[in-house]
Amino acid sequence: MNVPLLEMKGITKRFPGVLANDRVSFDLYAGEVHALVGENGAGKTTLMKILYGLYSPDSGEIFINGEGIHIKNPREAIHHGIGMVHQHFMLIPPFTVLENIIIGEESHRAGILKLDEPANKIREIMEDNNLIVELDARIENIPVGLQQRVEILKILYRGAEILVFDEPTAVLTPQEVHELFKTFREMKKRGKGIIFISHKLDEVLEIADRITVIRKGKIIRTLERKEATKPLIAELMVGKPVLLEVKKPEVKVGEVVLEVKDLRIKSPRGYDVVAGVDFNVRSGEVYGIAGVEGNGQSELVEAIAEDVPIKNGDIILMGKSIVRWDVRRRREAGISHIPEDRHRYGLLLPFSIAENLTLGMHYREPFVNRLQVMNRKAIRDFAKGVIEKFDIRTPSEMTPAHALSGGNQQKVIVARELSAEPKLLLASQPTRGVDIGATEFIHNQIMNAKGEGRAVLLVSADLDEIMSLSDRIGVIYKGRIIREFQRSETTKEEIGFYMMGEKEAEKEAGEGASGGGEERADKAADKGGSGDEA
Amino acid sequence: MKLDRIKIDKYRLLEIVSPVLGFLASLVVLVIIVVAVGESPVKAFVAIYKFSLSKSAKLATILSMSIPLFFAGIAVAFAFQAGVFNIGVEGQYFFGGLIGALAGIYFHFPPFIHIPVVIIFSMLGGALWALIPAILKVTKNVHEVISTIMFNSIALALLNYLVNDPLSGLGKGKSLEPQTAKIQSTALFGKINGFFRLLGWNVPDYVYLDYSLIVAIIMGIIVWFVLFRMRYGFEIRAVGTSLDVARYAGMKVKRLQIAAFLISGALGGLIGLQEIFAIRGYYTYNIASGLGFDGIAIALIGRNSPLGVVFASILFAFLKQAGYGLQFYTSVPNSVIYVITGLMILFIVVINEITAGYIKALRKKEAL
Ligand SMILES: Nc1ncnc2c1ncn2[C@@H]1O[C@H](COP(=O)(O)OP(=O)(O)OP(=O)(O)O)[C@@H](O)[C@H]1O
Ligand SMILES: [Mg+2]
Repeated sequence: MNVPLLEMKGITKRFPGVLANDRVSFDLYAGEVHALVGENGAGKTTLMKILYGLYSPDSGEIFINGEGIHIKNPREAIHHGIGMVHQHFMLIPPFTVLENIIIGEESHRAGILKLDEPANKIREIMEDNNLIVELDARIENIPVGLQQRVEILKILYRGAEILVFDEPTAVLTPQEVHELFKTFREMKKRGKGIIFISHKLDEVLEIADRITVIRKGKIIRTLERKEATKPLIAELMVGKPVLLEVKKPEVKVGEVVLEVKDLRIKSPRGYDVVAGVDFNVRSGEVYGIAGVEGNGQSELVEAIAEDVPIKNGDIILMGKSIVRWDVRRRREAGISHIPEDRHRYGLLLPFSIAENLTLGMHYREPFVNRLQVMNRKAIRDFAKGVIEKFDIRTPSEMTPAHALSGGNQQKVIVARELSAEPKLLLASQPTRGVDIGATEFIHNQIMNAKGEGRAVLLVSADLDEIMSLSDRIGVIYKGRIIREFQRSETTKEEIGFYMMGEKEAEKEAGEGASGGGEERADKAADKGGSGDEA
Repeated sequence: MKLDRIKIDKYRLLEIVSPVLGFLASLVVLVIIVVAVGESPVKAFVAIYKFSLSKSAKLATILSMSIPLFFAGIAVAFAFQAGVFNIGVEGQYFFGGLIGALAGIYFHFPPFIHIPVVIIFSMLGGALWALIPAILKVTKNVHEVISTIMFNSIALALLNYLVNDPLSGLGKGKSLEPQTAKIQSTALFGKINGFFRLLGWNVPDYVYLDYSLIVAIIMGIIVWFVLFRMRYGFEIRAVGTSLDVARYAGMKVKRLQIAAFLISGALGGLIGLQEIFAIRGYYTYNIASGLGFDGIAIALIGRNSPLGVVFASILFAFLKQAGYGLQFYTSVPNSVIYVITGLMILFIVVINEITAGYIKALRKKEAL
């Protein structure tokens, strides 16, 4: 236990206009989980990318088992026993789990792929580490949580001793997080070293043995698990005490802004991903949709935001059906959208932050003049204001969006969508990958929007987020909103219960006798709920 | 901060010289082939030098040859910016040229109107020929590479027929190449060689530095301005960067793609200006072919930017001229010369792509 598995010493990395890592030293022992926490843009990912050979440091040294090494690229990193689970998985969707694990390492006899030996080896790894996946399943058919397991299997198969997880839980459900932590514990027992990055301090406190706080590129302190508390970590991260709560404004809930009626959407695979959804959102109200990912919430939000083909039903914005409207028209009518996949839908990565901040408003004055010439000064000035207001950490407004840290990219999108002053804000996972300070800030911005009488539809896998922001909560399961609650009349546990569809299952089992009665009771509760607010 | 700037510029510089690296590599290919066919490489280089860089007249010839190549490159590049792969510039050029020529033959205007009219008609013709592939792409998802290639063949066949029969300008029994009637003198492009002579550049009379050069300069500036300063150019580049993001931002993605496709076709329609209105004075389907395809390589080397396309088209013109030099002064067979210029182009494109890719990786690593 005295020679660390990994030691990084005096790592410095400078990007244009930022010192991302400033003489950072970090170590990891076999059999421990070492958490790395810090604000968005603090330099966590940069440090890990240096370790994995994706960036070359300006100075500093890396030792493995006490031996100094140079890592020029990921291949060498893997060779030295370093594995990284990326936030965006590097898997080939139409290939099977087995094929994805052995790709690049495959062996053959007379040109025919050997599959049995690797399969046996992988099964062993799976059992040792609580990482069970069906080897013949295709990646495209398995949920995100299992895909992540495949990623982990991939690096264990290559003999990794040091495993880096950069925000692995951001895409997982609470149950999947639980399973992942079980895996961590198994790996610890086997002497692996795990570096864990997360913005969720509860998770960090649950699993980490040591916690290192990094702020603006500098290591602030490494805490032992027993001395660490949530407020202490938060304070070390931000540099001042943080209030971990949101102020909920008192607002009179107004008229219905959004109404969704018996909406059905067919998935490309044939079944109804959205299978008859009814709900409404009123001005000054936050309607939270809770559910395990993949139960139709993405498709539901997409159908409100843009003109995707729907099978049945209607979407009504302030009394007008919008199902036939294109995106531009919906935006002009007052819909803003924070999409869940920020890279795919939210940002033009090679374009400047200023251009990204005006995207969607870019065709309006003052950003263009009457001759449709872009007013670059107006765009930059607007961006400067927004960057200041939303505390986006960037060297300048002309920096390309791809150069921002993950959380700051998210802030760009949130800032843009809120600056459009919408009547209805669709917020899908608005704080995914965002640090506590910024999460608090975004939550308060959403509350401000509510205070200004905007309607908010919030979709989040994070139950705490749903509970702390919503006025009403609908639980979505298999494409239907199976229950709707007043925030004040429910608990996190109850919602979590419904998210698993357990009552639903029970109901179906006991169909007839007690089941029918319960269903009626549910309906009555719903009616009661709506009655209260009206 | 200061230091960072210098670092950025280092990479920028490397990026700019990467076509030069490709060019040097292509010279090696040249030497190898020349030696292989039993000719002296020294003689080959002398031939190339004599024919390209030795005299101001030769330089002027290169500039002249680069004009249609520039239009071809910028046409392809414009579509690329919107993520559209317009292989059909060739057909659009043939068709645009015909429409422009017809406007030159059958309309009667004073020159200061007639010349803009034939330019506009050439563009309309090119755009028209891009219209169906554009519509097929956005409505029926027919890939533009397939449809435009087919439209290239259709254009050739159609023009062959038109020029031979309905639009033939030849009296019966003449054995000249099939061609249209003569273009009105009011629509012909004059030369501006005199202007260059005033500037002290001795451009001889036989070189064509004509009005099409002015059109090229104006178009280059307009294209740059539209792409990088105007809202629609911004939207076109956004669509080319990410369809999904553009759609989420409320852009009319399909319309933008159609527009970029048509503008690309319109720019392609200008390729023939010099040959039709300055050199020949009539239209024939024997006008230089293959320029539309050269445009693809030029756009690639020029990285789809108007300024890059300027340099790439001059480089291309030089290569063509070098080929003529070899033809004239050495015993290398013509067919082998085509192989050589073709290989040189290939090498420039490939090496340029490889070095650019490598620089990008380096850049990413240092994250500059
Ligand atoms: N490729 C790059 N080019 C320029 N600057 C970069 C690049 N990558 C990161 N940076 C900058 O370096 C700093 C550290 O970024 P990094 O991604 O390491 O932050 P992080 O701690 O992982 O943040 P987050 O929690 O938001 O993911 C940020 O200021 C970021 O803008
Ligand atoms: Mg990060």
